[in-house]
Amino acid sequence: MADLKETFSQIYDQWIEKIFRFVFLKVNSEEVAQDLTSETFTRCWESFKNGSKIDNPSAFLYQIARNLVVDYYRQKGKTQIISVENTFIADPNNDFAKNAMLKSDINTIRAVLAGLKDDYQNVIVWHYLDDIPIQEVAKMMDRTEDATRVLLHRALESLKNKINEV
Amino acid sequence: MTNNQLIAQIKELRQIKPNQNWVFSVKSRILGEQKEKQSVLNVLANLLFQPKVALAGVSTLTILFSVLILSQDSLPGESLFVLKRAVEKSQALFVSQDNIAQVNLETANKRLEELAKIAESNQVKKIAPALQEYQASLAQAAKNLIKAAATTSDSVVIKNIVLETRKLEENKARLEKLYGIAGLEAKEGENPTQLVASWLINDLEKRTLTDEQNLLFEEAKKDYENGDYNLTLEKILELSESNY
Repeated sequence: MADLKETFSQIYDQWIEKIFRFVFLKVNSEEVAQDLTSETFTRCWESFKNGSKIDNPSAFLYQIARNLVVDYYRQKGKTQIISVENTFIADPNNDFAKNAMLKSDINTIRAVLAGLKDDYQNVIVWHYLDDIPIQEVAKMMDRTEDATRVLLHRALESLKNKINEV
Repeated sequence: MTNNQLIAQIKELRQIKPNQNWVFSVKSRILGEQKEKQSVLNVLANLLFQPKVALAGVSTLTILFSVLILSQDSLPGESLFVLKRAVEKSQALFVSQDNIAQVNLETANKRLEELAKIAESNQVKKIAPALQEYQASLAQAAKNLIKAAATTSDSVVIKNIVLETRKLEENKARLEKLYGIAGLEAKEGENPTQLVASWLINDLEKRTLTDEQNLLFEEAKKDYENGDYNLTLEKILELSESNY
């Protein structure tokens, strides 16, 4: 049990921020993102301690998180409405003007990204934000690598077009 | 906007981070819940199998064991002697009622051997506590000899008691002769030799003896009346050799 806890602890430390961010970008609420992320890791731990074989913990976590987000919107009958003003971003920069501009850019891209269809959001977040290699993303999306590259290209073009519209 | 600029902006979203207190509390809750569900037995087992705890346990046991071993060579008047007595008492708990008097006599003999060591090394201060311990062992032996006389008829047990009593007399005589130690006489009613001699006389009264044995038995009874219990024992042993 001690070894299991140690392994899970390492997975938790490695993925908690990414899963939280992944969920937050979809639900646009710190509180809901915390609840769903917490539930994601709780379910992962339950599977872990029950002896389920988890070959790819990150794919497993993202899959649980995706399902929870889908359930969340289904139960609440909600649609994703992301406001540019409603932010939850750390302030690493002390330069107010620069920071304000950066925040503005980030909020814009966050809002636009949230408005993309689910596959486009996921492929952009996983590959560009979480640095997951294309091969891995392809497996997570159950697509071929080529099809994933094409999807990524289209997702990026869609994001660019929407930003230009703002 | 180029793709690279767009990707750079996407990467800025890494600034979105969860509250670190929340991160810590969720982890504690998930892994902590499991801890609460563990049984006391599991917790103890985990604790015992932790190298540091196990090492501490083994070290403590080793120290205790070493102290117990050391205490077996201790003499009355020394701090470890209390432990030696405690070990003897605990060992006596596992001895059958028939054999307890013999064990008590063995203990009395041990006390005399300790007294001899003390006298030999001239540890004057330890003589008084050693004599006290010897008298205490005699009192305990007397108590159980009276019980044994009433309940035991096993010839092997009786023979062992007689042998141990003779050894006690020999040790006592040696101590008196070599070191001139006084105060080895048992208190009234606590003299094992007298108690054993009396027990054997009563036993022989009920038996059919040959003429030669009867002669010895009469002499033994006279010796007993004269207070020479040691000689009484010698004569009874002589006549009983074929019986015991």
